[in-house]
Amino acid sequence: MTTSALELITVAPWQRVWTGDDSVAVAERDALGTTARVAVWPPEDLAVACAATDDVLSALDLQASRFRADSELSWLHAAGGGLFLLGDGLAEALGVALAAARWTGGLVDPTVGDALIALGYDRDFAAIESVRGEPSAAPVPAPGWRLVRLDGPLLQLPAGVRLDLGATAKGLGSDRAVWAVLAATGQVGGVLVSLGGDIAVGGTPPRDGWPITVAEEPAQAGSPRSQLVRLACGAVATSSVTCRRWRRGGTVLHHIVDPRTGRPADGPWQTVSAAAATCADANAAATAAIVAGPQAEDWLTAAGLPARLVGHDGEVRCLGGWPTASGYPLPTTPVSHVYTGAWIPRGRR
Amino acid sequence: MDAERGYHDGRVPLPGSGDDDRAGQIPTRRDGIRQARRMTNWTAAALIVGTGAAAVALAHQALPAAGSAAGTAASAGTSAGRTGTSAGQAGTNTQGASGPQVTHSVATTTASGVTVTTTTRTVNGKTVVTQVRHAPAHADD
Repeated sequence: MTTSALELITVAPWQRVWTGDDSVAVAERDALGTTARVAVWPPEDLAVACAATDDVLSALDLQASRFRADSELSWLHAAGGGLFLLGDGLAEALGVALAAARWTGGLVDPTVGDALIALGYDRDFAAIESVRGEPSAAPVPAPGWRLVRLDGPLLQLPAGVRLDLGATAKGLGSDRAVWAVLAATGQVGGVLVSLGGDIAVGGTPPRDGWPITVAEEPAQAGSPRSQLVRLACGAVATSSVTCRRWRRGGTVLHHIVDPRTGRPADGPWQTVSAAAATCADANAAATAAIVAGPQAEDWLTAAGLPARLVGHDGEVRCLGGWPTASGYPLPTTPVSHVYTGAWIPRGRR
Repeated sequence: MDAERGYHDGRVPLPGSGDDDRAGQIPTRRDGIRQARRMTNWTAAALIVGTGAAAVALAHQALPAAGSAAGTAASAGTSAGRTGTSAGQAGTNTQGASGPQVTHSVATTTASGVTVTTTTRTVNGKTVVTQVRHAPAHADD
């Protein structure tokens, strides 16, 4: 979506969602090109939780959107490289993205901006023409996250390097929203925030944890191929090549790019769900596993993360204590890799 | 003679101790029964108190066994009953130290579905609302 000075982005209203339990309140709205969902108990905290989430999402969009001309990230790109003093929000977002790149050995890399543009993902996904006859441009491997120097809020960005924080931004948004809701509600009760299926929870969970469906696509929830898990703390996120696909010159493309080649990842796993201490960790790990391809199991095992991998043939592999049957809790580790390796503005936590 | 005064065990009451009143009384069968009854009452009281305390303790442990303690369920990796605290409030089936019982799924972790992007433009003083809807996935492959 290309914006102009006259364009205003409206905030979609929250819609109450009835899930079958009176003891929690759930609401949903469109946000960041996907769906945001908030679940909270006690139910009377819903309005406060939604307002806190709105603030977080609006701020994140204005900081890190690649598709808004008025975002801080777009301003960096327009400046064409140099030395910048970032706002706290973008500094944290970029710090988390760089820490994720370091943790995953570059499997997720925030310098894939030009690679995505070359593939045709150059605007808000909803505005992409899904089928076009001409092929995409030649693939552009990522220049590499090590070229980007971030010292606190001070950024040195080489000219020609275009950033995309998609591998960590939704997870970061869910984490931020959970922290904001807990602060707004006085740490009473519990909250779950989902951004496009990347879920963080905080506070006191329901007994046995928050019931969460694991599915490859939103429409698949409730099907026999889905699984119910329970999450008491931490986060769970899913990355998949089954959504956000488009066609160029007869070739189907998707949004998870291998930074090493600039092409869509083409490994044996089409969907990976991972549980971790935070949603940014889980988000990065799930995407890294898709990109890692045949090495995904080794990488996830070394990282010590519970994960569920679904192959293109439908085969499901569960690692690191991920339950094989429905109804069981997800084990999560207490240690975050991306926040401990990132600069966090004072007072953010 | 002691035997004549009833001091069978050789004890002699001190003056003014009150036992003087009993002086000359011989412990009868009735005294024995009274003492036995007193012992029985104390034993019964102790049993009642002990039983009550045990019942309270058992009830306190039994409640949270139905659910898991906050924050510990995920790290344990099993689903069987965990200990914890729970204090259900009158009139609700929720709250207390642990959260409510939630049985239905509240969210789905999945690939990012794309929904609707709504934009509002101001053109020549008029507000133009545009909605762009995208199908979740292309089924052409």
